[in-house]
Amino acid sequence: MNMKSRQRTFMIITILILALFFVFNTLPLIKGVIFSFTNYKGYGAFDFVGLRNYADLFTDSRVGHSYLFTFKFAILATILINVISLILALALNAKIRFKSALRGMYFIPNILGALVIGYIFNYIFTYIIPALFHSESILANARWAWIAVVIVCVWQSVAMTTIIYISGLQTVPSDVYEAGALDGATGWKQFRHLTLPLILPFVTTNMVLSLKNSLMVFDQIVALTQGGPAQSTESISFLIYNNGLSGGQFGFQSANAVLFFIVIVVFSTFQMKFLGGKEEQL
Amino acid sequence: MHSMTKKIVSVGLIAALCSGMTLGMTGCGQSDAAKGKTVVTLLQYKQEAVDIFDEIMADFNATHDDIYLEIESPSDAMTILKTRLIREEAPDIIGFGGDVNYSNFVDAGILMDLSESGVLEKVNPAYLDILESLEYVPTDGTYAMPYAANAAGMLYNKDMFAEHGWEIPTNWNEFTALCDQIQSEGIQPLYSGYKDTWTCLAPWNAIAIELSPSDVCFQVSDGETTFAKEYSEVADKMQELLKYAEDGPFAYGYNDACLAFADGQSAMFAIGSYAVPQILSSNPDMNIGSFVMPAADSEEKLVLNSGIDLQFAISESCENKDAALEVLRYLAEEENVQNYITAQNSVSCLLGDYETSPVLENMMPYIESGRMADFQDHHYPSEMAVDAMIQTFLIEGDKEAFLNKFDTSWVRYNRDVIKKVQDYTAAHGGE
Amino acid sequence: MNQTKRVKERFNNPVTVLLIIGLFTIIFPLYMTVVIALKQPSEMTNTLSGILSLPKHPSFSNFVEAIRVTHFWSSIGNSLIITVATVVLCVILHSLLGYVIGRNMSNSKFYKSAYFYVVSGMFVPFAVLMMPLIKQTSQMHISNVFGVIVLYVVFYMPMNTMLYAGYLRNIPLALEEAATVDGATSWQTYWKVIFPIMKPMHATVAILTALAVWNDVMTPLVIMNGSGMTTLPVAQMTFQTQFGTNYNLAFASYLLALLPMLIFYIIMQKQIMSGVVNGAVK
Repeated sequence: MNMKSRQRTFMIITILILALFFVFNTLPLIKGVIFSFTNYKGYGAFDFVGLRNYADLFTDSRVGHSYLFTFKFAILATILINVISLILALALNAKIRFKSALRGMYFIPNILGALVIGYIFNYIFTYIIPALFHSESILANARWAWIAVVIVCVWQSVAMTTIIYISGLQTVPSDVYEAGALDGATGWKQFRHLTLPLILPFVTTNMVLSLKNSLMVFDQIVALTQGGPAQSTESISFLIYNNGLSGGQFGFQSANAVLFFIVIVVFSTFQMKFLGGKEEQL
Repeated sequence: MHSMTKKIVSVGLIAALCSGMTLGMTGCGQSDAAKGKTVVTLLQYKQEAVDIFDEIMADFNATHDDIYLEIESPSDAMTILKTRLIREEAPDIIGFGGDVNYSNFVDAGILMDLSESGVLEKVNPAYLDILESLEYVPTDGTYAMPYAANAAGMLYNKDMFAEHGWEIPTNWNEFTALCDQIQSEGIQPLYSGYKDTWTCLAPWNAIAIELSPSDVCFQVSDGETTFAKEYSEVADKMQELLKYAEDGPFAYGYNDACLAFADGQSAMFAIGSYAVPQILSSNPDMNIGSFVMPAADSEEKLVLNSGIDLQFAISESCENKDAALEVLRYLAEEENVQNYITAQNSVSCLLGDYETSPVLENMMPYIESGRMADFQDHHYPSEMAVDAMIQTFLIEGDKEAFLNKFDTSWVRYNRDVIKKVQDYTAAHGGE
Repeated sequence: MNQTKRVKERFNNPVTVLLIIGLFTIIFPLYMTVVIALKQPSEMTNTLSGILSLPKHPSFSNFVEAIRVTHFWSSIGNSLIITVATVVLCVILHSLLGYVIGRNMSNSKFYKSAYFYVVSGMFVPFAVLMMPLIKQTSQMHISNVFGVIVLYVVFYMPMNTMLYAGYLRNIPLALEEAATVDGATSWQTYWKVIFPIMKPMHATVAILTALAVWNDVMTPLVIMNGSGMTTLPVAQMTFQTQFGTNYNLAFASYLLALLPMLIFYIIMQKQIMSGVVNGAVK
């Protein structure tokens, strides 16, 4: 009896919250999918154009480029963000001096707005680094500009990922370390065999979140390169926003967004399956 | 711990309640001043002119008993305007630029025809022509009142020119000779700031209007010609300009270029009058002059690049069109126009004896005689990203690939428009 | 809370030093931001020494002007209302959903699909939802602060549900079972036992949600415009016009906006560290 009512309470709560989610996420998504079959500009009259937008997607070299750029960018950024954040989280979680101050400082990149970051890093890449190394600006180089976007994105995203890792480290009971220390597990060994397995759920979460954020990279591109030089750093989100909202391609870019959504879901499912499998093994 | 949680929860609930209450209050945005009057709403996109518009609003409301004018000058006004259109809450009057948005709005039928209203009588006919040319296919009506224009070409450092005795060039040969001269004196002739893609469009437009027909886009859509043919020389001249630009122009943006020009690091800057306030902000004492882009081979062929920077249109859904027209008539009063163009360094689209900024001195004869043409990028769909294509071309230097891409992308991004144009010419027997 | 016996009362000095060295990557951009905020537009140059030098006549006039132009007190008030309300609603609703889903997804198809349904919502590009949402909120007469809060609660539901569900995997079931045996209803168990245990995760969720909401421009811009209220990031857009940006005013304003978030973070990170789990598992 008790179990049943417990199940019912859970069920009602879940359904209510999911209903809210449906109304403000799924419903507009469905409408977006419908627009993806039209030549809607965002206002005025529109016609249904069948699968034209989807057919165009696969023949548009600009869209193809944006997918290539976005994925190579996201994979590199996700790896860098997680490695750096994990090291930083371990360091900030250690018994260090000025703990609060240090944690506060390392959090700052996350709060600075895109305009500030864009201006300052533009300045660093355009004036300071070339002056130090007698080189040309990386932002003007169509081959390497994407690395600059990776650097800034990692710089900004590390803070958020670190917070999640720090909170993950709190779930590791101290007696685990104590028992491990008796067995001689210290340093790398302690991390590899004790800490890492216990925080794996957080690794999964962080990998998924940072991959998703990197795949949707937009702000840093607007602030740093505007998609240039020579259209080498146009991300998928950049195209969707710029052409769908400011431009008159809402229908076409809705199709792009729908395709993008499907691609990310597939990609993330693989990632979660892979990492989830690891979790169970350990 | 527990009391802490409770505290947080109660604070949050109060906040949620407060925000819920504002829901009820949002309807009362207008003050008592609007009571019993016809309310006219105006949304305009020149956010930098907010002070002028606040003044206009106050003066208008002080002098009108029956109409209450409410002006909004938000940031990113075009996005906001689009949200209003989606909500079907179009403002009564829209103040926006003469660009592809106008073409789309006319095409979507959301603007009122002003041709019979009388408010267009004072407008410089050259600007009405520019406005007409923005429509995808010619229509009978005119759907906006051009108000202020900007002009683009070359800005130059007046003091530097005077000091070295340099003359203003009137054709392309004189221009390149001047650049060589400046270079030989150890000074940077041009600053370009091509890192921001849109700055690539400034010289592009100014050159293109002199070397290609002004309705080139319509002609291409109609299948009469190709961009590969019409823009070939424009592309050459863009490449030639690079020789006189700063080293690594793709590393520096618009802002860097404004700063460098203001600092006297270059003699000229190929940009429009709209850059003057930004340049003056870092060097308030600078003496800036301007001249028409000398891309053609003789002075008679020079044309000023000028477009409508601000125009007012009344939305078709407006319920008080007479009141809205009254507002347009008020805006067109000489004193208001003068105030606006003085504050914004711009050119009046209305006929009359206006005092224009000394920066534009060399351009005024062109405006007065109507020797001008619109920015060609006003006809390019923004999603085609012509600016980025030009930047790519200048970096890679492959003219043929660039022009071919221009033609293929044009077809790709303008399918619906091309169909309209061809239907129109078919129906009208090729003009 | 002593992490391991080895480092009991001793500070880890090498790590402290490394963290302080790493801080340079944050101090330098921050230094530039502060210097620019104290200068006048006419002091801006494009030379290395010029931009790095301290202002000749440091003055806070930019801050005063920034406060005036953005209607600082009213816009920061709106930002605070939205942020606080969103965070509180998220912590209450998402922790409940995360708990219900996290505890049941391993043995119930319904909860498992609910989990993937919500989490996949994370990958929907906002651009595709935007136009339908503008229309929908307008039809529902919530094109205002209230609507923005509702949207945020929905937008961050995937991320937060994922975080809560992941966190619960490291919390032993024994706790709730003990409470249920004692005769507590599931509702009581949740509020008295589970909710407090999740405190570090509440703090993490609060920080991440607050940060995302605080810096967001797009949602309030498109949903709330015309409601007569504006948030700080939207008001800050006034510094950037098409053909000119006043970086000095903008940076002063960004520094002012940074402070509340920094303070909030420092308070919250103490909560993350409170390590309830260690004490609770007896």
